[in-house]
Amino acid sequence: MNGNKYKILIIEDDEHINNLVATLLEANGYQTLSAYSCEDGMMMYASHRPDLVVLDLGLPDQDGMTFLKRLRKDSLTPVIVLSARSDEKDKVEALDMGANDYVTKPFGSNEFLARIRSTLRMTTHRMQNGMFPGGKFKASGLTIDYDARRVFLHKKEVKLTQTEYNIIAALSEHAGKVMTYSAIIKEIWGYNDEGSIKKLQVNMVNIRKKLGARPGEKNYIVNELGVGYRMCEADEETL
Amino acid sequence: MKKTLYIIRDIAITVGIQLVCFMVCLWIQNSTVENALIPAVSIFGVFLTSVITPGYLYGVAAAILSVLEVNFAFTFPFFHFNFSIPENMASAVIIILMALITCGFTTKIKYNKILEAEREKEKIRADIFRAVSHDLRTPLTTIYGSSSALLDPDNDFTKEQRTKMLQDIQQDAQWLFRMVENLLSITKLDSGKVKIIKTPTVLDELIDSVILKFHKRYPDQEVEIDIPDEFVVIPMDAILIQQVLINILENAVQHAKGMVHLGLKVFLVADKAVFEVQDDGCGIPEEKLKSVFYGSHEVYEVSSDCKRSNAGIGLAVCATIIKAHGGKIKAENKKNGGALFRFYLDMEEKEQA
Repeated sequence: MNGNKYKILIIEDDEHINNLVATLLEANGYQTLSAYSCEDGMMMYASHRPDLVVLDLGLPDQDGMTFLKRLRKDSLTPVIVLSARSDEKDKVEALDMGANDYVTKPFGSNEFLARIRSTLRMTTHRMQNGMFPGGKFKASGLTIDYDARRVFLHKKEVKLTQTEYNIIAALSEHAGKVMTYSAIIKEIWGYNDEGSIKKLQVNMVNIRKKLGARPGEKNYIVNELGVGYRMCEADEETL
Repeated sequence: MKKTLYIIRDIAITVGIQLVCFMVCLWIQNSTVENALIPAVSIFGVFLTSVITPGYLYGVAAAILSVLEVNFAFTFPFFHFNFSIPENMASAVIIILMALITCGFTTKIKYNKILEAEREKEKIRADIFRAVSHDLRTPLTTIYGSSSALLDPDNDFTKEQRTKMLQDIQQDAQWLFRMVENLLSITKLDSGKVKIIKTPTVLDELIDSVILKFHKRYPDQEVEIDIPDEFVVIPMDAILIQQVLINILENAVQHAKGMVHLGLKVFLVADKAVFEVQDDGCGIPEEKLKSVFYGSHEVYEVSSDCKRSNAGIGLAVCATIIKAHGGKIKAENKKNGGALFRFYLDMEEKEQA
């Protein structure tokens, strides 16, 4: 963050949370702006053009979703949504509406900062070339070779079907970010019908088995129950 | 819709009983059986109607009908109304009075039953509430106390002391948060306003999430997992069932003294998925087995020496969630020691009435 700091807009009506997020971000070298309502947020966004927006969904004047909708009309600025645990529906809706990621309240500072970093990294890296360097994704023992369409686990090749490979490739391109079921389905099959989710679930079970995952152990792909899947982040040095 | 159905049913009962009585009386009159039976039979008909139907209306209607019947058909002059005989009028008044009193009694009994059920529910609610208030106070004391102590410039804490106090604040805040989640689920479901929305959930993914979350809180407690190899999809509200499993596992960690092994097993029987959590700890005292899901705080005070007993509500939440899913949950002690919690969910989505 030398000299050229990222500007982050925080839209959250609760003063304490807003304060906490701002302090946390500033202490980690980001520049912050605080807004306490949707209208406020829109105005500040227009005049400051932040690099990232942290958005609470339950705002006093309008739903945070309204902000997201209006923002996405003409901007790709990354948005991280803050939400309460129990409403997966809202999370899915926000993600499908163009939010880049979400953080569930209450959140630990490490988790929150990791999401910010990964979202910022992903957007800048996408703007630069849109692919991982060398056409390869690497994360603690897992390697995906995009050119050869092959996957390796600790240097040993994992035999995947076409669909399985497509899913894992799609997830890895959005590593660190949760992808909703419908987003994955759209990317893999192009259409969304009644059986698609089941098809995806079956494939996911197979992929996880092939990657040697066991329940509860650190897996490459994390379940976000009722929302979607999240691929663990790529190792920093490969980027 | 339902109300009209009930009214139709009650009218049918009233008319039906009257018809049967009338036929019996007719038969008595035309046979050699003593005619004195006729009033007894019609009074019995009125009594039955008053007991079976709710309120006063049907009983009184039945009384009037049967007075008319008896007057018309079975007293002199036969098959003619005659209201001039004072004895007939007196018996009519007596029958109607009897119907009124019977209706009064049955209505009162029914009302009392409703009241009692209501009271029982209220008691459970109060128990949970008491447990919760007690459980909330402890962490709040820590949070408030530690933060004020840290803010006070006169206090000169070492770095370790500071860290320790901050960690306590964090842990207690996390605990409070889980408690609030539990409370939210229980009030949402208990009020009956929120219906559970079941979505097909992959068993592997559910167990994976449960264990990940559990290990975040209790990194040292191993959980032995035994689930079917095949691809199993169970309709459920995954977040709530995840909460159930975590609550039961957490309960074991906090209350099963001397526990070494903690196991989570899922298997399929016919159209049901059965979940079992078992430990090899101290078990649940026999006299408390029944009340374990009712959130009465005393259950845990005896058996636990740890200061937090989230279980006071945790297990009550489990019972509420499973009930809302149309399943059943049970706790028992294993023969060779330790406790076993078992619940099942339907594999097929059923329309809930």
